[in-house]
Amino acid sequence: MHAVAEAMTGRPDSFPLPERRAQGSAAGAAQERVAWPPGDLAIWIFILAELAVFAIFFAAYAFARMGELELFVTYQQTLDTNLALINTLALITSSYFVVRAVGRIRADDAGGCIRWLAGALLLGGVFLGVKSLEYAHLFGEGVSLSTNTFYTFYLSLTFFHFMHVVMGMVILAAVAVKAAQGHYSREVHTGVETGASYWHMVDLVWLILFPLVYVM
Amino acid sequence: MLQYKSQAVAKPYFIAAIALFIGQILFGLILGLQYVMGDFLFPEIPFNVARMVHTNLLIVWLLFGFMGAAYYLVPEEAETELHSPGLAILMFWIFLIAGALTVLGYLLVPYARLAELTGNHLWPTMGREFLEQPTITKVGIVVVALAFLYNVGMTILKGRKTVVSLVLLIGLVGLAVLFLFAFYNPENLVKDKFYWWWVVHLWVEGVWELIMGAILAFVLIKLTGVDREVIEKWLYVIIAMALITGIIGTGHHYFWIGTPEYWQWWGSIFSALEPLPFFMMTVFAFNMVNRRRRNHPNKAAMLWALGTGVMAFLGAGVWGFLHTLAPVNYYTHGSQITAAHGHMAFYGAYVMIVLTIISYAMPMLRGREAANSNRSQVVEMWSFWLMTVSMVFITLFLTGAGILQVWLQRYSDDPQPFMVVQEKIELFYWMREVAGVIFLIGLVLYVISFFVGQRQPEASAKPLPAVSPAEA
Amino acid sequence: MSQVFTKAMARNIFYGGSVFFILLFLALTFDTIKVLPERDNRANLTEKVAHGKAVWEENNCLGCHTLLGEGAYYAPELGNVYKRFGESKEAIKAFIASRPVEGIPGRRSMPQFNLSEEDGRAG
Repeated sequence: MHAVAEAMTGRPDSFPLPERRAQGSAAGAAQERVAWPPGDLAIWIFILAELAVFAIFFAAYAFARMGELELFVTYQQTLDTNLALINTLALITSSYFVVRAVGRIRADDAGGCIRWLAGALLLGGVFLGVKSLEYAHLFGEGVSLSTNTFYTFYLSLTFFHFMHVVMGMVILAAVAVKAAQGHYSREVHTGVETGASYWHMVDLVWLILFPLVYVM
Repeated sequence: MLQYKSQAVAKPYFIAAIALFIGQILFGLILGLQYVMGDFLFPEIPFNVARMVHTNLLIVWLLFGFMGAAYYLVPEEAETELHSPGLAILMFWIFLIAGALTVLGYLLVPYARLAELTGNHLWPTMGREFLEQPTITKVGIVVVALAFLYNVGMTILKGRKTVVSLVLLIGLVGLAVLFLFAFYNPENLVKDKFYWWWVVHLWVEGVWELIMGAILAFVLIKLTGVDREVIEKWLYVIIAMALITGIIGTGHHYFWIGTPEYWQWWGSIFSALEPLPFFMMTVFAFNMVNRRRRNHPNKAAMLWALGTGVMAFLGAGVWGFLHTLAPVNYYTHGSQITAAHGHMAFYGAYVMIVLTIISYAMPMLRGREAANSNRSQVVEMWSFWLMTVSMVFITLFLTGAGILQVWLQRYSDDPQPFMVVQEKIELFYWMREVAGVIFLIGLVLYVISFFVGQRQPEASAKPLPAVSPAEA
Repeated sequence: MSQVFTKAMARNIFYGGSVFFILLFLALTFDTIKVLPERDNRANLTEKVAHGKAVWEENNCLGCHTLLGEGAYYAPELGNVYKRFGESKEAIKAFIASRPVEGIPGRRSMPQFNLSEEDGRAG
């Protein structure tokens, strides 16, 4: 919280953080100069808020499931776990790509950064495509938000997450464009870290959502 | 002392706001008495008429306050004179006369007759809560709003564009645009209610929060001298949270009106987070005041600015959360719990933010350098405490009434009829009325504060004490 | 490296977040409007019902009553009035028609609205 307070008050000297500074200077110009958390602090406030929403959503899911266990188990079986598994792999891999993208820009390699981001975007596209297939199948069967409590949750949670993937892709694309315009370098690349942080959050939420809704 | 001459147009707006505020409270007291003395002023002013006057006056005077705030702060933010002070004054009179005629219409003729006289059957929009105004008055509101937005927008366009004025403008545009849904009144009751909330909820738990945030940010910049960059960052984060939680939070009104059940989940989840922006507003206000770089002589304005954060969080945040979850709301919906929440939320968030900007701006509008005399400020601060504490009690008594009502009428094994229960909780209504009288005394003191200590010198700011290491 | 918290990022979150949630809200609205016909009994929305809604509005009934819990809390909910009056339209009409013009001493009373026979039927 000190870091938040410091950044929000614009008075860095009001919270001297000797240890961190010492570390920073000892590590010199190497990558260890990375501040924590990486990226813009504003995105972390946002990420915390988003995680809070998802946490409450998951808790509500668990609560509703307790009440209608049989219904949830029955309709869970109508979901395509294989497609969801593909999507899980796609997102995990894309997160790895994003990590590589950050690594490249820290090495002053904007071209590499853009290529890894493009890879991540491609996998994001795969996720959206596969998810759309799943939706198309279910809608074809006449399933809607109002079919039953399970589908209310399934569609609400996954669609809400789906929109986050779209949002994350917009952010990554914007980062890639800025990288292409030469805005980022070894010294200045907060934007890349910001986008990466958001994307990891989207990935993380899916990693909870997948076992919770499809498997358990 | 005004930085820009045209800021002076804010003065009549603020005066009208306070005058209508007094009217609102008088009718509030009539309503409170009618709760315990059913035949009070019957049939001259039946409850429904008094309530309409009470709520409509509230909305109108808050709008006067918002407009006055915009006319005061936009020139200073944009660093230029207002685009057209003449238009602002013209609109002031149009709005005031239209408002007065509407209220007179409520009081002098039966509502059905008013509907007939104003041709409601041609385009029926009347008779819905808070939107009781005749259609012609609604058109008038739109005209005034458009002229106002034009005036303020042009001023911002030609001058410096700051985050504060931009956020204020977004809030005001949103206010005007969402009001257009007041003109949509389908015969289908579910659809009617669904879109009615787009005006009511998306106002008070959406765009009005932007207006409130912008006014608070402006006053805090002026009072604390904290770097604008810092305050504007906070402002963005707060209003982002307000819209992120508030827009889907509309769902907490879609629990029981025929809309699909999934709203019970969406509405509960997102509105559970609606206290967040209000909490941040409180932290923001206290944080900025703690880090102030100067002591402003206007202590009263500072008190209002801090008070609005706290009371908005309590009223809108805590009391809203109290009954926002669908399983709770199943029992509390449309009970005195709602009334309790409504009173403190409106007072804490919107009444107090308007009184904050009035408190800050009025001394300058009346020719002072920066603040009123000490004596005037002391009276004003008394009025702050009287109104605020009595509002806390009004809320507590209504909450007590609500809990009992829900228990006796809906929750117990042997539910009793509405009117039977009303009589059983009469004591709480009496206590609420007493608290209401104290609120009125606070309001009278508030008005008096404008007339005392006028010949005395301005309060001076004590120099900021040296910052001790512990505090830093 | 000192911490960054840029105004530009806070601004982007405001705009991005707002657009995101407006779109989500519109998507849910779209779904709601799509399924409403199955829920709101619109087949029974005759001219008489519409007239009843107009009577409700033009006499400002929600200035005292609630309908589906929305309105004022001075008088009872009207969504269930038919049940409470023993499922008798006549009883409701008779109640409305018999309200004393001068009220009831010491008690809350519904005003006398002088509804026409036609309005009474629709209301």
